[in-house]
Amino acid sequence: MITTYPQAIRGPRVLPYLAGASILAGAGALFMALAWSPADANQGDLVRIMYVHVPAAWLAYLSFVVVFLASVAWLWGRWPLADAIAVASAEIGVMFTGLALALGSIWAKPTWGVWWTWEPRLITTAVMFAMYAGYLILRSLSSDFDRRATRSAVVGAIAVLNVPIVHLSVTWMNALHQLPSVLRPGPPALDGRMLSTLVVCVIALTIFYAYCMVARVGIERARSARA
Amino acid sequence: MRVARATLVAGRELRAERAQPDGLAAAVGLVAILVFTESLLVGPAVAAAPQIAAALLWIALALATILAVTRSFDRELEDDALEALLALPDGRDALYAGKVMAATVLLLIVAAVGTGLAVFLLDLDVALPGHLVLCTVVGAVALPSLVTLYVAISLRLRARALLIPLLALPALLPQLICVSAGVTAAIAGDAGASLAWCALLFAAALASAVAGLTIGPAAIE
Repeated sequence: MITTYPQAIRGPRVLPYLAGASILAGAGALFMALAWSPADANQGDLVRIMYVHVPAAWLAYLSFVVVFLASVAWLWGRWPLADAIAVASAEIGVMFTGLALALGSIWAKPTWGVWWTWEPRLITTAVMFAMYAGYLILRSLSSDFDRRATRSAVVGAIAVLNVPIVHLSVTWMNALHQLPSVLRPGPPALDGRMLSTLVVCVIALTIFYAYCMVARVGIERARSARA
Repeated sequence: MRVARATLVAGRELRAERAQPDGLAAAVGLVAILVFTESLLVGPAVAAAPQIAAALLWIALALATILAVTRSFDRELEDDALEALLALPDGRDALYAGKVMAATVLLLIVAAVGTGLAVFLLDLDVALPGHLVLCTVVGAVALPSLVTLYVAISLRLRARALLIPLLALPALLPQLICVSAGVTAAIAGDAGASLAWCALLFAAALASAVAGLTIGPAAIE
């Protein structure tokens, strides 16, 4: 099968710009998160974990929605690029879900008194992590390109149901975790400087996600070309 | 036409199961053992608590569904029948839908046996038997579509014993939560809550059936 990719996704041309933008945005986000944003009245400096924890959770959602779209695209048209995007986004999504879980646990110890507890958001996030880890295991078990892509696309198309479940779990069940502060009906429940810092952190990590995606899709493309 | 073919596949599946009921026996055996050992493991008072009884029974039924569906596909592989079925017009759709229909019938039997055993052995005082039956029936309809999908994906993989529970059980969580809560409410006598959970369970069953019928056939190799 001849594999063709749009010019825009070819790594070498876009990658340096994304790397530069990622470093600049990351430096700005770091300054705002550590120096410019105020400490919380109750939690003090502990609240600064939010500036990585929340963007990591947002990127996990974004990654898995991208996996869903790419999976549907593969099932629809059998485009190799769709499969490359799906695997790239799934790997990055698992990484960010793991980061969100780890940071959440670190944040939970001083605020809730435990590293881990029965809590709907924690459990549903861990379930989402396990499902996408299963997705990656499934991919690793087959060497036939078409079969691997189809199997994983089916899982990727179903597993996205976890995203709204994770996000809304705190409103559906009694939860220790705070309710959504930004993605909710009505205005965000955050101090102005905290909110703008959070937005910059989300943008910085989203650019980093784009960088990782382009790099990883390039690797997948090279791998397919070799095979 | 497709429905007729799916019904044919389901009928063939059920006849095979009647002739050699190893899938049904494994599923009923698993559920029965769990109900038998439950009161020993957690103590009779805790085991008879509606929430615990309902949750453990439905976790066992989810595992039993995986067992029965896996056995059903294994039978096709052992008899080299899968390729012939797939070669028929609309073979994939008919095979997937037929397997789901047959698994639903089997699960209804397993759920009836499991629920009966739980009520009898745990001495459950069911306040709303009609609601319990309704939740059990909708629950039995809600599980097989996704389980069949994941078993089909993992059919020829060496690590399927790990993959099927890893992929299927998290995907079944909404259904398991709804059916456990609905059964708990039925045992406790909360008619409104039982019907509300049952309606949510029906919605989850419908969503998983639509998702399964849309992409499930593509998963069968």
